[in-house]
Amino acid sequence: MLLAGGLLAALAATGAVAGALWAQQPSGQAPVFRVKVDLVVLSVSVTSRQGRYVTGLKPGDFRVLEDGIAQKIAFFGEGSQAPVTVEEGRAAAGAEGSGSPGAAGVNLASDSFVGTNVFILFDTSNFMYRGFVYAEDAIADFLRGLDRADSIAIYTFSRNLSRATPPTRDRMLALRGLRQSVAGDDTALYNALLLTLRDAAQMPGRKVVIVFSNGPDNASMLAPDDVRAVAEDEGIPIYVISTSEVNKDPISGNVFRRITARTGGRAYFAKTWQRQTEAFQAIREELGHVYTVSYYPQPNPNEGWRSITVELTGDAAKKYRIRTRAGYRPKL
Amino acid sequence: MRYLKQLSCLLAVWGGAAYAQETLTPAQKLERTGEPLRARVVLARAAELNPRSVGALRAYAEFLDSYNDPARREAYQKLLDALGPEESAERAEVARRLALVDLVAGDREAALRGLQIYRDAGGRIEEEVERALGRPVAGGSPATSETIEIPGALRSFERMAALSGDLGLSELLPALARNLVTSGYQAARNTEGLEPTEYLKLLSRYISQARELAQMAGPDQVIRISTCESSETGQLIKILGYRLRNGCGDDAVLETVNASRAFLTTDSGFPLAELEEALHKNQPFQYEFRPAKVPVLFGPAYWVSGEKNKQAADFLDVLLADPALARLYLAFIEKLVSKDDGWLASYFDALARLDGRPLEYFTEPARMRRFYLAVRGRVTSPGPARPVFRSNAELMLLTSRLQIGTDGVPRIPGGLEPWKQLFVNHPQGKYDGKLTRAANSWKAPDDLVEALFALCRKPVENEPLKIFLAISEVDRNRKIPLRPATITRLINEHRVYGTQYALLSDAPSLSDETILAMLDTMAGLSKIKDHGQRSDTIGMFQALVSVWQIFCRQGQILESQADRPLKSLTDLFAAVKNDRELFDAGRSGVRTLLSATGSSEGVSRQDRMLELLAGNAAPADQETYRQAVSELASLFELQRLVSLKTLFDLADHLESVSRGEKLNVAMANRLAARISEIRLPRTTLTSVEKNSFSFGYWTEKHVEEQRKLNLRQAVEKAAGNPEKLKETRGLLAPILRDTLVGFSYIYYAPPGAQIIRTNPLFVRSHDFLGVLAAVRTWRETELFGTGWPSNGGGRLLGSLTGLAYALAEAEQNFLVPTQRQALIWGDLVPQIILSAKVPRWWQVSAVEQHWLALHLRLGEELLAGAALEPKARERILEILGRQMTPARRFRIATLLAAGQARAAIELSTPSELYLLARGHLDAAWRPEGLAQAVCRGPVEREIRRLAQAEPSRANPARISEAFGSPHPTLANSYRPELLNLPTFPTLMGYSSRVLAESWESNNLYWATLADELYLPPAQLNLLVPQWTQKVVERIFATHLEDWPAVLRSLRWIGDDYRQKARRQLLDEVKAAALN
Repeated sequence: MLLAGGLLAALAATGAVAGALWAQQPSGQAPVFRVKVDLVVLSVSVTSRQGRYVTGLKPGDFRVLEDGIAQKIAFFGEGSQAPVTVEEGRAAAGAEGSGSPGAAGVNLASDSFVGTNVFILFDTSNFMYRGFVYAEDAIADFLRGLDRADSIAIYTFSRNLSRATPPTRDRMLALRGLRQSVAGDDTALYNALLLTLRDAAQMPGRKVVIVFSNGPDNASMLAPDDVRAVAEDEGIPIYVISTSEVNKDPISGNVFRRITARTGGRAYFAKTWQRQTEAFQAIREELGHVYTVSYYPQPNPNEGWRSITVELTGDAAKKYRIRTRAGYRPKL
Repeated sequence: MRYLKQLSCLLAVWGGAAYAQETLTPAQKLERTGEPLRARVVLARAAELNPRSVGALRAYAEFLDSYNDPARREAYQKLLDALGPEESAERAEVARRLALVDLVAGDREAALRGLQIYRDAGGRIEEEVERALGRPVAGGSPATSETIEIPGALRSFERMAALSGDLGLSELLPALARNLVTSGYQAARNTEGLEPTEYLKLLSRYISQARELAQMAGPDQVIRISTCESSETGQLIKILGYRLRNGCGDDAVLETVNASRAFLTTDSGFPLAELEEALHKNQPFQYEFRPAKVPVLFGPAYWVSGEKNKQAADFLDVLLADPALARLYLAFIEKLVSKDDGWLASYFDALARLDGRPLEYFTEPARMRRFYLAVRGRVTSPGPARPVFRSNAELMLLTSRLQIGTDGVPRIPGGLEPWKQLFVNHPQGKYDGKLTRAANSWKAPDDLVEALFALCRKPVENEPLKIFLAISEVDRNRKIPLRPATITRLINEHRVYGTQYALLSDAPSLSDETILAMLDTMAGLSKIKDHGQRSDTIGMFQALVSVWQIFCRQGQILESQADRPLKSLTDLFAAVKNDRELFDAGRSGVRTLLSATGSSEGVSRQDRMLELLAGNAAPADQETYRQAVSELASLFELQRLVSLKTLFDLADHLESVSRGEKLNVAMANRLAARISEIRLPRTTLTSVEKNSFSFGYWTEKHVEEQRKLNLRQAVEKAAGNPEKLKETRGLLAPILRDTLVGFSYIYYAPPGAQIIRTNPLFVRSHDFLGVLAAVRTWRETELFGTGWPSNGGGRLLGSLTGLAYALAEAEQNFLVPTQRQALIWGDLVPQIILSAKVPRWWQVSAVEQHWLALHLRLGEELLAGAALEPKARERILEILGRQMTPARRFRIATLLAAGQARAAIELSTPSELYLLARGHLDAAWRPEGLAQAVCRGPVEREIRRLAQAEPSRANPARISEAFGSPHPTLANSYRPELLNLPTFPTLMGYSSRVLAESWESNNLYWATLADELYLPPAQLNLLVPQWTQKVVERIFATHLEDWPAVLRSLRWIGDDYRQKARRQLLDEVKAAALN
């Protein structure tokens, strides 16, 4: 298993620990085993009935089912802390911060697994022209308030995507990228969202995409649900802050609600600057309280859509509400 | 002196030849077997072991020279050092060569040193050349008297004025004038006048804000804030449109207070984040706010002379406020335009792009006048000068593409009669009463051409010209011209099937019978009543024909044998009556195509099809080839298409079941499992959303029926009835259609292929019928449904003829511009991608690649030679002038006179350099000075040697075939070729599409780059799409005719790759030398 660890860690660094293929080669004449493993990473938020985030839960408080099959939690983390290896329902002591690979070869103390990679996708199409500067102010406030461990990427889009600032922990760089945004023309939200998800998928660790848009999309070649499927498969929650009034564009509103709910994120409809700031605050708070629950799927013949259910055990199950992605498709 | 030059020239050749007998042979052998890098190592070692051997040093230097290897300068220097004073003729020759090479590299100082050695060895240099090279390159700000000041940072102004940051200072105001003309004004809502657009309003407001900031910056032109609390802080942030939230200190944050001003601040790129940080830390902030001095043509006073208060009038304000002035500044020649509304200018514009026989034909004085009168008409208004874009598109297409025979007479397909009938009987509807009457008395081709000219002036679509050009292209390369009856049929049916004629242009050996049969079959298929069956039948037929076209283009079906398989396909589908027959026709079609490529019967049809689509690779290129096959297989898989093997095995099994065998449930389940992977994202849509999908019904149904297919149930239902059991394989027909259509989709998949990778229904959603009543079955492929919430994703509509272009068009917006503010150039990029995807280089050898690269190098040398030889300059400029506008030619002439050869080279496109070399080589004359310059060069010698040694590969026709690009609009064909036309402007009705088709430089440049880096041509198959993507992403253009932005991007990406690859190459050379 140790031999596999190094390779897996290397793969994890480039491929978000998914679809890793490794060889087990113990000493002696034992045969080589090849096993295809997808580490499934879930971002789980737990709230009380009053909507307050619940902290301090342990791995043993969670039960994960995939297509109804109980799963063994491999890694567990809360907020911006690095996930730790789980042994028999408990977080393994000493793994965190040791810098050594965990049991499955994932370097838990690696910088990449601390904090969240936040991709902000900012609509600079001409729809946004009037509220452009207010939106910038709201995003700037959000950036300033993020945990220092979080890395930020600022992407803007109109007809095309622009990678204004690649993922960085340098707030100044991120602000500079934001403040240098340029107004564009048409709105190809779902095209841009796909490209952002593809970039995010390349990053190790936890990641989210926050879309700041007022819709409607008028130039994408892709359907929202095709893009949503990519987010589900990659385990990337999508948050949307829409500046349009939900009543005036119900179809966009429905789609925003659907793609955010299915990926474990949330949609906010915030026409005013004040509401936008509040929406960002809510997202920031959620990022700081979300649990990271990861597992290697148990044998499952289903190569198509696999549904995921996360439950709380014991008394917590009755008191709290859980939100996470609905499922995924294993990589072929 | 003349004898000295000739002697040195001979010595150079003899020197190389003598040494060739000892060492060059193995090196040449290596080079000819496609291993130039090893040849380089052999020659380098020989030169190293024989440091005093002039032969060894020369062989190495000239080898490097012919590959544009940067080590050539050092190698020539060593050769020069090895030559003693007694060898003055040879020293002079080498010194001059070195000077030429230095000049090409842009090192003018080194070139001057080389020339001085040349002179010391007895050579002669013109004084003006020496003076020019000794002068520093003029740069920086032009004379103050001819400039204006633009307030603030130039980049900020460029951002607000939508100008590329790559523009030179002298290009700035013409580009601004163009933007003002095209985007600055719109028709006023309440009056007949014009009113400024949002673009112009913002620009004006920005200038006003920049002036306020300039005032604040003061005489030293720096905006300074000492501390957060200083009074300047409040003044600055007020101008910027912000305020300080929370006051100074740790919580200091800038917040918008005036949205209009704040937008200008951020959109112009003011360093707001830096200001905010300085305020936050209570540190000083300073920002240089120097105005940019920009040259004004004829000086600003000339343009503001009409203003009442000349002193106060600011040129920039006047230009922004007066659309007429902007037009004038954009080089509209007012008198020429006012005389006849611009018809003569437009006519000249079209004729100025011609060369050779067409030029002679059109400029014959009587004819020129006749055609001018035809195009101008009696009433000149509305003229072509009125719109923003040139409206002489059809005039340009006609003059560029009319074929003139060696007898000086235009080639009219089918003779005059079919065309007379078109005008007289007007089967497509009446065009022009006067022309109809005149057509009765047509006697000569000029009469038809005159009529076509006359139609060019009409603002409506010029159908006869479109028909004429399309059929001319079909007939252009045919050894046996089409019969008049066939031409008549093609004319009459152009309106419905015209788009399909591109297929006929691609295969000039098609018989009249096959063409007519194809028209019959297409007409028959269009009459199938059942929509689903019609869609599947037409889809499958078009898919097989599309694959046939690919195999023909790739040489897998020989040109001489292209007719039979197409005729077979046509016959197969003409007879289809039901789904079972459709499936059988599709299967037989696959067999026909594979058989035509010489594939053996026993191979896996699926694997073979993918292998053939990937190309025909030489054994040495197997690794590259495997990557290409693997990429195709991966895209096929991502679309969840069902393999031919699965389908044909299942069909065979169903046949056995009809004979009494038991159904193999596992086999049926495999298909069912595959189909169940087809996801329908729309299942999650609400009823409101579903109601918005009123179109696309048939594609929805097509996909839905596949999802519902239950083969097992169908077999059970038909149990006991052999005939019904046989029919069950008809259920596989829609699936086979998608598989066959999918082959073309994956073949033409653009770089990135995000849609194919993300939307698994993309191939299945192809709509062969059309929306509601608009039948699109045989029309050009087009995009439909972009922009949510129209449907479950965009799809393609129409025939497969323009599939490659449509896929590129659909994919272009997934490319990510790397320059801030740049957007993907919508009308140009699909064609640029097309030029990277349609040509394949598996059958191209290192000979073609090297021969082409030598031409581009010779082109560069000729320009450098023209800088060294004033006598030769005019001749070189004359050749270049055939491809360039007078303004560019003038600019190049100026640069050459100033000894700035590198700048002149950078300004020339690769295709111009190629044509310059061809023009030089083809010319019967030889300018005295220039002949001396190039006869010593190994480049021209090598071009001539290869042309003799490898006549089938080293010739212009083969270069055109190997490194050309497709021209669906200009040549109505997807077959790659070089048309060698000057770069077109943006044309009304075509936007930048014709411009992009006339841009043939990319593949020439890539091939030259590959040659320079000793890469085999097969690697171009993988590299060119990647390189092209980068080029597209880096283009930073100001307007729709800004093709120099493409050239800049091309050279930038090439230089970047060259730099990285050369580092790796050096390591490889070192490693090879050690072995």
